[in-house]
This record gives sequence, C-alpha cells and structure tokens, in this order.
Amino acid sequence: MTVLRNDFIKTVIRSCRQYSVLCKSLYSYNHLIKFNNPVIINTQRWLFWEKERKGGYDTTIKQSNWEHIRNGFKELKNELKLFAEEIKELIITDPVLISRPGEVDLLWLFNDANVLDKFVTTSDSDHNEGFSTCSLDMSPAGRAKFHGYLDTKVPKDGKIKKAGYCGMRSKIIRKSFKRASTYNWHLYNTLVLKVRGDGRSYLLNISCEGYYDITWNDIYHYVLYTRGGPYWQIAKIPFSKFVLGSKGRIQDKQNRIRFDRVTHFGISCGDKIVGRFDLEIEYVGLEFDPTHEEEFAYEMYKTDKYIVGV
Amino acid sequence: MAARFIRHILRNNSPNILLKRWSSTEKGVTVFDPFAITPKKDKKTYLEAVKMFEGRDTRRRGHVEFIYAALARMKEFGVEKDLEVYKALVEVLPKGKFIPTNIFQAEFMHYPKQQQCAVDLLEQMEDNKVMPDTEMEQMLLNIFGKRGIPLRKFWRMMYWMPKFRNLSPWYLPDELPNDVLELAKLAVARITSVDPVMKIDVWQTEEVEASLDKTWIVSAQSPIQKVLLSEQPPEDPLVVKGPFQVYLREQIVSYFLLLGKTRPEPKDETDVDDVSNLKKPPGIPGYMGTTKAVAVKSTVHEQDDGTIVAICATGTSSRDSLLSWIRLLEKYGNPVLTNIPVIFTLIAPPSDVSIQEIQPAIHKDAKNAESN
Repeated sequence: MTVLRNDFIKTVIRSCRQYSVLCKSLYSYNHLIKFNNPVIINTQRWLFWEKERKGGYDTTIKQSNWEHIRNGFKELKNELKLFAEEIKELIITDPVLISRPGEVDLLWLFNDANVLDKFVTTSDSDHNEGFSTCSLDMSPAGRAKFHGYLDTKVPKDGKIKKAGYCGMRSKIIRKSFKRASTYNWHLYNTLVLKVRGDGRSYLLNISCEGYYDITWNDIYHYVLYTRGGPYWQIAKIPFSKFVLGSKGRIQDKQNRIRFDRVTHFGISCGDKIVGRFDLEIEYVGLEFDPTHEEEFAYEMYKTDKYIVGV
Repeated sequence: MAARFIRHILRNNSPNILLKRWSSTEKGVTVFDPFAITPKKDKKTYLEAVKMFEGRDTRRRGHVEFIYAALARMKEFGVEKDLEVYKALVEVLPKGKFIPTNIFQAEFMHYPKQQQCAVDLLEQMEDNKVMPDTEMEQMLLNIFGKRGIPLRKFWRMMYWMPKFRNLSPWYLPDELPNDVLELAKLAVARITSVDPVMKIDVWQTEEVEASLDKTWIVSAQSPIQKVLLSEQPPEDPLVVKGPFQVYLREQIVSYFLLLGKTRPEPKDETDVDDVSNLKKPPGIPGYMGTTKAVAVKSTVHEQDDGTIVAICATGTSSRDSLLSWIRLLEKYGNPVLTNIPVIFTLIAPPSDVSIQEIQPAIHKDAKNAESN
C-alpha cells in the first residue's frame, strides 16, 4: 500500500516542477533512499543522468507538514492575485510588439529595497566549500550594491580543489499557481547595465534551463569589465557575444541564446583575486540596436570528427 | 597451491628476488623532495630541480607524482606565470609511449593518469593566465598523439584564450609596475577616463610648508571640474570622502574624492499645452509664450551623490596628506578653496598622522616633568 502511495505521489510530483508546494513531501519520502546513496556534492564530469536540478545541493527548507499546509494556504491569496493580474493582462492584450531603437526597456530598476527580494545571493561558504561571503544591499546612493569578500582559500576537506565565488541571481520567473515560465527577449539584441564597480571584472550569467537534465546547467556567460571609481558606466553587451558554458566549463559546440528560454539572470564574482568587492547596480535593461547585425560572434564551422564535443 | 606458495613468501619476510628491486641500501625511509632542499627559490633553481629529476633515473619513475608536486610548488618559487617552466614540466613526460596505436586505445583514454596530469598542468596554466604556444603543441603531440585529451584541452585553450586576452576596454600593461606612484597614476588615469580633458598632476607635499608627512599626491582635475568648483556656493562645505578602493588586477589603490553640491536641476515651467494666454496672434512665425534662459547641460561629474570636483591618491592616504592636497588644489588654479570650508569624512584612515601630532605634546609633558 505504501509503495503504491509513494509511486502515486512521485508521479504527481514529476508532472510539477521542483519548487511546487508538494515537493517537500517527495523529499520526506525520499530520505530513506538518500541514506543508502549519499548525495554527491561535487560536480561530476561523467554523468549520464542527473537526479536533481540543484546538482546535489539540497537547499530545501525543512518544515513540518502542518507548517507546510499553513504556508500553502497563505500563498493561495497571492497566487489568486497573480492569477487575476494574468487574466487582466489577457483581456487588455497589449504586448510590446515593436522594439524602439535607442530605448532601454528596464528589467530591474534598483531604486527600491523591494527589488532586491527578486534576487538571491550565493557564495561558496553557504555550502561549506570556501570562505567567501557576499550580500546584496541598498547603497548610500540608493542603488543595489552587490558586495562582499572573495576568498580563494580552499577548505581542508580533501575533496575541494578550488574555492572562491560569490554570485547573485534572479529568482525563478513563474506564472500563478507555481507554473513555470521564462523570459521572452525576442525583441532585443543588447543587454544594458548601468553599474559602478571597483575595477574588477565580473561575470554575467544568463541561464537557459531547459526541460532535459543536460540543459539544466546551461548558462551563457560574458565578462563585465568595470572601470572603478565614482563615475557610473553604462555597459551595452550584445547577446551574440555570450558564450555557452555548462557547470562553468565553456562548451565546444556553441550556439546563441534562445531568447524565449531565458530563466535567470545573474552576476557573479570569481576572478581569483582575494579581497573585498563592490558592485553598485542602477539598472539592468534590454535594448534593440539595429546597427548590430551579428547573430553569433564565434565560429560555427564543422571540425574534425572525435575532436570537438567529446 | 600457487596461492599457498605466495602466502608463504609474503608471511616470511625472507629476502626475495621479487622484492629486491624495491629495497635500498639505506635502512630508513626518507622522502626525497628536490624542491624542499633548494636553498634559493627562484626560476633557476626550479628548473635545476626538474633537471635533477630527469637525470636521476632513465625510466623517470614517478613522473606523474613529480609533476603534481612541482605544480603545487610553483607559487613558492614565483614561477607560476612562466611558460618556460611549464614547458620544462611537459618535457618530463616520455615521448612516444603514450601515443595510442589502435582505435580502442584512442577511445578508452590510453594512460589515463598521465593524460589527466597533463590536463591539470594545462589548467593551471589557464588559471594563471599563461597562454601556451605552438612549441607546447608539438611537445604534447609527441607525447600523447593527436587523439590525446591534453591536446583537446590545448586546442580549446588556444581557441578561447586569445579571444578574451585583450577584451578589457581599460588597457593595463602585462606586468604592473612595482612602484606605488606609477600604480597610483595608472589607477587615477583609469578612474578619470570618463572625461577626455582630464589633467593628472603629481605633486609633492613638501610644497605645503605646514605639511607633516612628506609624500606624493596624484591629483586629477579637469577644466570642467575647475569651473564646477568655482561655481560652488561658498556657504556649503565641500566634502572629502574616502578611502575607496580600485583594483588593477590584483593590486589595490585607495583614492579620495572631493565632493561638492549638485547644482539644482534647471526648471522649465512652460506648459506647452497651455493655451490660456496666447500673446501672439496666430499666423505670425516665432515663439509662443516666454523664452527662458538656456538650460545648463549637466556634466559627467555631476553624479547623484554630489558633484565630483577632484580625485586624488596619496602616498600615505593620511589625513594630513589630504589636507596638503586641498592646499595644493588651492594653489594650482582653485582660489575658491580659501573661502569654502572642507569637511573630512574618512572611513577608518589606514595610517593616521595623529600619532605624530601627539608626539610633540608628549615631549612637552616630558620636558615639564623633567623641569619639575
């Protein structure tokens, strides 16, 4: 009987995404299996099938069933609000159809502390894999400030080879009732950021998580060089320049970003320089630049067999 | 039967012909580390240690372990950014033996430990921003053949590294200067590159008679900033803020700002849609309504937290050197500074001259004590 119930719950959950309200129960049923196969935290090169989206990092918050039900009901109100907004939007039917060259459409304008809630910061010390710390606050100038201390010291646990990263990433975008959604950036071809840095170079990450497990870690990267100093700088980076990487490794077979599949945007600091870092961000936006005709900046020619992509 | 025989051999620690290869004349077990015994740690001794290992044994037993040990010791010898050293380490690997001879060997990673070792070596090069060259490629080809995984890694590096090498819009020389003054000049020039007419001066605090610590000041101020400073209202104080940090690769330079008030935004109250008081009759060309004074275009120096009037980096980053900076700014073309008060809001000054200020007082006390 219990086996049947387990299977039923698992099938229900499989049809939902991991952040579903129900996913907690899956974990509680799974804990016996976990004891037998301890979760491998380090990234693996040889991998045929990946079980978890987080690659073994268990970040679920442990809650009792009662608490879980209560929180679920609390969320119901917000979800219904979201749903009502969606319906309204559907009735109005006024999407942006034409991009206006030279105009920047803002994704996030960091002039309010509430906007910071849309982001999550991570550093290696969160999982006991290093000693870096970071946070995302409001700066005295009233902008978002991503700052912290980057430490490349490797903890002596015999497993970890390298350490030192800090990152901020936008939370998952979704529709009401926890349905998955993605950004659609079809109209634009340039990413625009207004930042004020400290001379370090940062990494811009655009995640395009797909359905299958091999695409869960697909992130498009590009470097954000900062001038340093008190003057703001506007960085315009065409999407064609972004490089595909998976789990931080540049891939041999490159392709350009699928603009309708973007799930996250993030900035990370991991330039192997020990010390404080400080990046002030005013906005992140998108722009259509008609003069930029390049589709993809890197070569796409065919190479020898068994050399590339193996 | 055979198993019993082997067990018998192993149980009695008899001198066996099989085990003789591993026994040496010396009794104690010592770890031989050629890198630990070198007296002076530089590139020359490092290469000597590698040569020593090569010459010790024709079979070069334990070369993978040796390369890993050598890679770990690179920082200690200060050679982690030297291509020649990496080449010397690749040279340790024997030629020809690791080249696969059939498709099965090529597919299933022939000599995996050795290949992984070479890949790790290349990765350390990548981490230290060392770009390999074609000679390295030839060496790797001679060792692993063109199907080797280290070769794939090499080709990936040679594809991507040149693409990102000169990507930064703010050029820095390959080797940063060791001199702090030169570094400060580079940093200030980089910060102030927003304004093309920026003028960077290097002053000595000796020019100010009242200065306590004698050091240099790299000050940057453009003609626009001079005008902005002269237009500051004399009753509002200017603020010296700092120290802020700027990174030039791994070097950190502290800098200070002289901030003024931001000018009020020009207000244009004319309502273009207002038709209540049309003064001109229709049909006559010209302006409708009143024309106002031309709005002043805001400059790049007017940021939302104040107008940046000047930027500097000093040799000591002390309060006294900043005071000298204000006096020098006053001397060189900013006479307004005599009238405007300046507030120092410094976050935990790294080296304060207040200790020096206290010292004479102590002397006085001591003298008083002596006289008493």
